[in-house]
Amino acid sequence: MSGRRIITALSMILRMLFRRRIVIISLAVIPVVFLTVVELTASSKIILFRLASLDKNIFLEQSQKAVSLIFFSCTATGFLVSFLGMNLMQIDNDVNRRLVLCGYNPVELLFASLISLLLVIFSMAVYIGLLINVFIPVMHLHLYIIGLSLIGYVYGCYGLLIGSLIKGKLEGVFLIVLLANIDVGWLQNPMYYAEAHNNLIIRYLPAYNPSQSAIIAAFTDYSGANARFLSILYGSVFLILSMLIFYNKMRIKK
Amino acid sequence: MNMILKVENISRSFGKHKVLKNISFEMDSSVMYGIVGENGSGKSTLLKIIAGEWKADQGSISVAGRIGYCPQKSLLFSQLTVDEHFRYFASAYRIENSMWIARSEMLMDFFNFRQYRKERISNLSGGTQQKLNLSIALLHQPDLLILDEPYNGFDWDTYMKFWAYAGQLRMQGSAILTVTHLITEKDRFDRVFDLIHGHLA
Repeated sequence: MSGRRIITALSMILRMLFRRRIVIISLAVIPVVFLTVVELTASSKIILFRLASLDKNIFLEQSQKAVSLIFFSCTATGFLVSFLGMNLMQIDNDVNRRLVLCGYNPVELLFASLISLLLVIFSMAVYIGLLINVFIPVMHLHLYIIGLSLIGYVYGCYGLLIGSLIKGKLEGVFLIVLLANIDVGWLQNPMYYAEAHNNLIIRYLPAYNPSQSAIIAAFTDYSGANARFLSILYGSVFLILSMLIFYNKMRIKK
Repeated sequence: MNMILKVENISRSFGKHKVLKNISFEMDSSVMYGIVGENGSGKSTLLKIIAGEWKADQGSISVAGRIGYCPQKSLLFSQLTVDEHFRYFASAYRIENSMWIARSEMLMDFFNFRQYRKERISNLSGGTQQKLNLSIALLHQPDLLILDEPYNGFDWDTYMKFWAYAGQLRMQGSAILTVTHLITEKDRFDRVFDLIHGHLA
């Protein structure tokens, strides 16, 4: 393994990523669209809700709009980053394999892909974190940005896993939309799961812990440390699985 | 002459269809070899196995030296430029900066595509992409050059230059293995393998 070669691969991956116009448009525009739609449609009615990771006697009071804005910022991050993760694994797979045949270690390419994904996730989280402040004040901005980064991490790694498992783009997109839509786009909405009959399933879905940590940071002074830790654990399972599959596909079979 | 490649009892099947059956041969330095055969006879499969892209069901391959592999279909990153490809693949080959810069400039001049060095691959013609595809295989001065119909899309001038370059490499001691469909090219090789029903003739 060579640090210099990882840096070369990283710089190439980032160039390729940001030369695709759709990537820039998606990352810059979609969060604005999501949040603007919420701003224009959600009511300002104050609602009472619970957060599943806090004590069941703790109730929060926020406007429907504020809750929706925070929730949809999580949704936008999860959706976008999972597509990005899938693309990193799927696009140019044959050419990456050629690089391996020419001497690159698959682990070097893996590291480069992972670092580029983490850089994009963090930039996205900071961008959306600052953007949300235009709409509503957030109590602990830095912790909220960490929460968004964790959603990015879990869903980015889910995207990596789908991209390394599934060859077809359409099938990959379907699996991303399926989970992201149900999980980060619906069930993790505190307005929904506060009244859900069975929130056990919701607790085991990938977006549960990171969205809890983001919402806790946005609205309360409570600690979301446990949720943050579990998010890292959850994302790392996806990451390890995806890396193993990618490595197995890329290594030279003699 | 030194032995560069030894292929022993290579077999490969796709489902029930056995494409390669106990293929064995050796290649020496400074010799140009050709593989001919009908469509679907397993020429590309054999090359992919030698290059390490695919695994044989059985058999072994030993190579003494660096391999340069030019696949039939251009395998390039559509969003990177020609120069960036040279840099990326030089990093894979572990070539020093000064070396790959000099080599890439020489290849761009020889195959006449220097004017496209800053262009992204998505903006290049098929022929220019193929020139780069071939140049990547030549960048590290391989001891064994494996070429799968490398001149698809070349104009006549580039096609002739390709053979001149291959001759030059042979003189310098490289062994060259080329898949071809063209019977007229048979005279260009020192030795020709005919792949028939999974066996080399």
